[in-house]
Amino acid sequence: MISKPATGKYPFVKCVPAEGFRGQQVFDIGLCVSCGLCSRDCPAKAIEMVEVNGKKRPLFYLDRCIFCYQCAESCPRNAIKATDIFELATTDKSSLVVKPTTTQKNSGA
Amino acid sequence: MPSNGIDILKILEDKLQNKPVQIVPGTLGTAAIITKSGSHRDVFQILVDADEKTAVVSITGIDLGENLGVYYHVRTSNALLTIQIEVPKANPTLASVNDITPSAAFHELEVTDLIGAVFEGNPSSGHFVLPDTWPEGVYPLRKDVNACEVKLDPPAAEEKSDDGKLVKIVIGPQHPALLEPEKFVVLVEGETVREVRPRIGYVHRGIEKASESRTYLQDVYLVERICGICNSCHACAFVESVEKILKLEVPPRAKYLRTIILELNRLHSHLLTLGHAGLEIGYETLFQYFWRDREPIMDITEILTGNRVISSSMTVGGVRRDLKETDIPKVKAVLSGLKKRLPFYVKVYREEPTIGLRMQKVGTLKRENALKLGVVGPVARGSGVDIDVRKDAPYEAYGEIPFKVITYDAGDTWARMNVRMDEVEESINIIEYALDHLPEGPFRVRAPRVVPAGEVVNRVEAPRGELFYYVKSNGTAFPDRVKVRTPTFANIPAFLTTAVGEPLADVPPNFVSLDPCFSCTDR
Repeated sequence: MISKPATGKYPFVKCVPAEGFRGQQVFDIGLCVSCGLCSRDCPAKAIEMVEVNGKKRPLFYLDRCIFCYQCAESCPRNAIKATDIFELATTDKSSLVVKPTTTQKNSGA
Repeated sequence: MPSNGIDILKILEDKLQNKPVQIVPGTLGTAAIITKSGSHRDVFQILVDADEKTAVVSITGIDLGENLGVYYHVRTSNALLTIQIEVPKANPTLASVNDITPSAAFHELEVTDLIGAVFEGNPSSGHFVLPDTWPEGVYPLRKDVNACEVKLDPPAAEEKSDDGKLVKIVIGPQHPALLEPEKFVVLVEGETVREVRPRIGYVHRGIEKASESRTYLQDVYLVERICGICNSCHACAFVESVEKILKLEVPPRAKYLRTIILELNRLHSHLLTLGHAGLEIGYETLFQYFWRDREPIMDITEILTGNRVISSSMTVGGVRRDLKETDIPKVKAVLSGLKKRLPFYVKVYREEPTIGLRMQKVGTLKRENALKLGVVGPVARGSGVDIDVRKDAPYEAYGEIPFKVITYDAGDTWARMNVRMDEVEESINIIEYALDHLPEGPFRVRAPRVVPAGEVVNRVEAPRGELFYYVKSNGTAFPDRVKVRTPTFANIPAFLTTAVGEPLADVPPNFVSLDPCFSCTDR
C-alpha cells in the first residue's frame, strides 16, 4: 500500500479551516453602539457589558464561549467579526478573557 | 405498509362513545385525547388491538399548578396521538399501561423520578434518572423546585455483591469499553448473561429544566448540545416545534438546506458507528478505514455551516447561512469519492467472516418484540419494522425527495449494522438530489422573539431513530416546558432483552448495534 497518509502533519503543517469557519471572534470597538444585544442573546452567558471610557462594551469570556456566533448575528453594526483562530487551548483561563480595548485587532480571516 | 389504511380516530370514536373521553383532532399530533385516569387504559387497549405499530413514544410530565399533567404520546402506523390525563398534585397516582404496551415502562419510570407522578402497576425501585442520593420527594421538573439548591451527598462508591450463584459484572459508568459514561449491571451465570440492570442518568444535565430559563433563541443552541453527533437533528426538531406554534412558513430553500445538513449528520453518525462496531469486535482496521472516510464528511459540514461537529446552522425561520454556489462542487466531489468506496464497505459488512461470526445471530430482536418494546430507527428497521419519520410524517424537504426505507428481517446485530450501511448510500443520494433541486429564494425569514401561547409535538428521524420534542409556550420569550425523548432512550429496552441468554462476549457487539448515545439518553 503506497499512498499518502490520511492524517495531516499538524502542528508542523497548520491546517487551514474552511472559509466561514467560526473561530475566535474579534470585536471592533469603533463600530460598537453599546446596545448590549450580543450580551443579551448569548446562550452561554459569556459576554458581560463592562464600562470603558464611560460606555458599556462587551467583554468576552472565551472559556465559556460556545462559538455559535449568535453575538455576531445579533450585532446591528457588525462589530463582531469572524477569524479562523482555533488554537485557544491554554493552562491559564484568565488569558481567555478578552477585554474590550480601544485598539483595533487585525482580523485573521 | 399493510396497516396504513387504519383510520384510528374513527375506531376510537366508535368504541369510546359512552366513555369520559374527548377527542380533539389536529392538536398535539394527529389528535389529542383528553381523558381521566383509568379510562386511558381503555384507549390504549383499543389502540393496541387496532394497530400492531402502536407504541408509546414518550410521556411528558408537566406541572400545571394544582395538577400534574401526564401526556402519553403514542405512535401508530399513520398517526401520532397525545393522551392527556391530569392528576391532582396531592395524590398524583394513575394506572400504568405497562401491561398493555411494554413500551411505556421506561417512560413511566422517568416521569415518576422527575415530576412525581406515580404509576400503579409499574413500581419504581429507587431513582431512575436522578442520583441515588437525591432527596425523596423533590421532583426537579416541578416549577417550585430550584435544582441548584438541592444539596447532594457524595454517592456510595461501590455496587454491593449479590448473594447466590449469579456473578455481578458492573460495566460503567466509567469503563474502557464504553465511550460515554453509563452504568449497566450484567448478571452472569458462568458466561451466560441472565439479566441486565440499567442505571441511566450519570450525565443528566437537566437540559429540559434549563431550557425553561432561556429564550427560544438561546434554547436552539442549548438543545443542540444534547447530542454532539445528531446536533442538527435536535436543533431542527426544536426550531420546527417553535415554527409550528408561530405558524411560520419556512422558505423552500431553507427546507432543502436543512435536509442537506440533517443528512450530513446521518452520514457521519452512521460512518462513526459502523467503524466503532469494528473496534468493539477487535477489528481495528475497519474502524480506522471508516473514520478516515468520515473525515471528509466533517470537512464539508464545516464548509456548509462553519464548524465540523456542532453546526449551529438551524434557527427559527430557516438556516443561518446560505450555501454558496461555489461550494456545491466541493460537496459533490466528497460525496462521489465516498460513493466510490462504498461497494468495498458493503462487501465487508455482508461477506467478511469476522463480521459474520461476531454479529450474525447475536442479539436477535424478533419483529413482534421490536413492535412491543417500541424501538425506533435502525434497530426497528433491522427487525423488519418499516418505521421512518422521514416517510411516515415527512418534514422539511423529505416529502419531495425520493429515497428508500431500508429494512432487514434478521433482527440481529448484523442486520442492524447493514441497515446503517445501506442508509449511507441513501443519504448520499438524498444530498445529491437536494443539491441538484435546490430552490432559489431566501434562506430564512424573520421570526418574532415572543412566541404566542400554545403547545406542539414534533418528530424528526435522527440517525439513531425517531427523535421526539414537546414544546409548550406560555406567551413569553421563554418556553414553559420542553420535553425531549431521544432515540437511545427508546432503544435501551431492546438491549436489556436481547442480551439475556447470550454469552458475555456478545454484549459489546450487541450493545454497539443500538448505536447508543448516553448524553442524549440522559439529557
